Amino acid sequence: MITFLQNVLDALSLGSLYALTALGIGLIFGVLKLINFAHGDFITFGAYALIIPSSADVAQVLVGGWSWELLIPTVCIAVIAIALASDYLVFRPLRGASPPTLMAASFALSYVIQNAIMVIYGARPKSVNLWPVLGDQTHVGPLTIPNLNLVTIAVTLALMVGMTIVLRRTSVGIQMRAAAEDFRMARYLGVRADLVIGLAFVISGALAAVAALLLVAQTGSLTQTMGQPIALFAFIATVVGGMGSLAGAVVGGFVIGAIVIMFQAYLPPDLRAFRDAFAFAFVILVLVAKPSGLLRAKGLVERV
Amino acid sequence: MLKVEGLEVRYGRLTALRGVSLHVERGETVCLIGPNGAGKSTLFACIAGGVSATHGSVTLDGKRIAGRRPEQIARSGLSLVPEGRNIFKTLTVEENLRLGAFMAKDRESIQARLDEVMAHFPRLAERFRSSAGSLSGGEQQMLAIGRALMTGPRIMLVDEPSLGLAPKIVDQVYEILMSLRDEKALTLLINEQSSKRALRHANRIYVLRSGEMRLEGRAEDLQDGEAVMRAYFGFDERREVGEAAQ
Repeated sequence: MITFLQNVLDALSLGSLYALTALGIGLIFGVLKLINFAHGDFITFGAYALIIPSSADVAQVLVGGWSWELLIPTVCIAVIAIALASDYLVFRPLRGASPPTLMAASFALSYVIQNAIMVIYGARPKSVNLWPVLGDQTHVGPLTIPNLNLVTIAVTLALMVGMTIVLRRTSVGIQMRAAAEDFRMARYLGVRADLVIGLAFVISGALAAVAALLLVAQTGSLTQTMGQPIALFAFIATVVGGMGSLAGAVVGGFVIGAIVIMFQAYLPPDLRAFRDAFAFAFVILVLVAKPSGLLRAKGLVERV
Repeated sequence: MLKVEGLEVRYGRLTALRGVSLHVERGETVCLIGPNGAGKSTLFACIAGGVSATHGSVTLDGKRIAGRRPEQIARSGLSLVPEGRNIFKTLTVEENLRLGAFMAKDRESIQARLDEVMAHFPRLAERFRSSAGSLSGGEQQMLAIGRALMTGPRIMLVDEPSLGLAPKIVDQVYEILMSLRDEKALTLLINEQSSKRALRHANRIYVLRSGEMRLEGRAEDLQDGEAVMRAYFGFDERREVGEAAQ
């Protein structure tokens, strides 16, 4: 029972990371019909923003050494900047292009960011010790909970609640939801495309920054491809949850997190190495049963 | 007020509109009729900025709007109720309506518009907080018109208001459109499949077929329907036309 509860906490923690990332991907997809595979590289970029740009083997922290009140906004601004720059340089010239074209462009962008990081910082992984206090554990009765898990879950919940309030209660939020459902109709009603797209990249960038910090705090190391596996799992989460539905992205993130952790914990030891294969097989089963995802996006039915 | 001249729209190799011209004067109700695939919806989308033209000009009160973005055109006082209504189903009725009014700066004018729309559409007031996806087809059409009104338009383009609705509901929709015309002096350009209905409500009629304007005239001059039918179907077999029109 106790181990099961620990596993549940691990699942929630991993699911949080996936949910944050899936939400960032889902938001951009909703507005632009762009599946942004460079989202993982936004996360990587956020992580590298912590250290001084140099190809030396030992990383020297700059932003990473600041107090958290200063560190978090700085990393957020850095990632938002690269997200907006990506839109301006890569995606804006492709407005009106088909979704496959946009996706191919995002792959290209992904490689450019990875290789730029490699050129500037060198190809070796670097270690960064961010917020060592989060490595401690809290004891609740018989449960031993890593503080990092608690922080990850709490931060994610807070961001979800915050996003929900923004999307439900504010005028820009309603405009974003409308644009995500039917962009052209929203524009016919005077909703500014630039405002909505810009805001989607800002929020998506901020979510990637938070994911980057949580990831670095967890792994303590930086590599040029560190954001990729998360982005891949998060992309699958958006598909499982229902492409185009923001709530679906979050639900999908937690579902994938739970599947991965539970397979890791309860598969026979010989099979654990194939955990991801089992997880993806499960995803296939979900999609066979519900081809449009767990929460189908109502606005996504195409009209001629 | 609205003037379209020599408009041409192409989708790849296909020419959807060829040299189309039309004008709508202030306070007029103009109906555009024509068979499926004639290019009526393309023309409306093009005027509203959703589809770009390869040739021709569109002006609103003498100002060129062709080539401007849909949101800019909406802000200059032209509102489109598209074919199929395009209600935001995941939003509530209230949110759908408010969405139309975000261009307005002050809360009071938004509230005033909301009250006005409610007065015209009591049914929407009853369903104010429900999800728009739960509305019936007729209610969705009312919401689409109400939402367009929230933008405070001077001219409203209504694309196929009768699509998929029972005749009784269509009558209600037209009743409301006509009351808007009379009370708010709203200029209307309506895309309608039924020539009977168009002749009943419009001041003037245009017939569009295969991407070209075939006929233009005052509704009172066309009441017998023959010229309209000929333009609509593109052949001169009166008996056949008469049967097809039934």
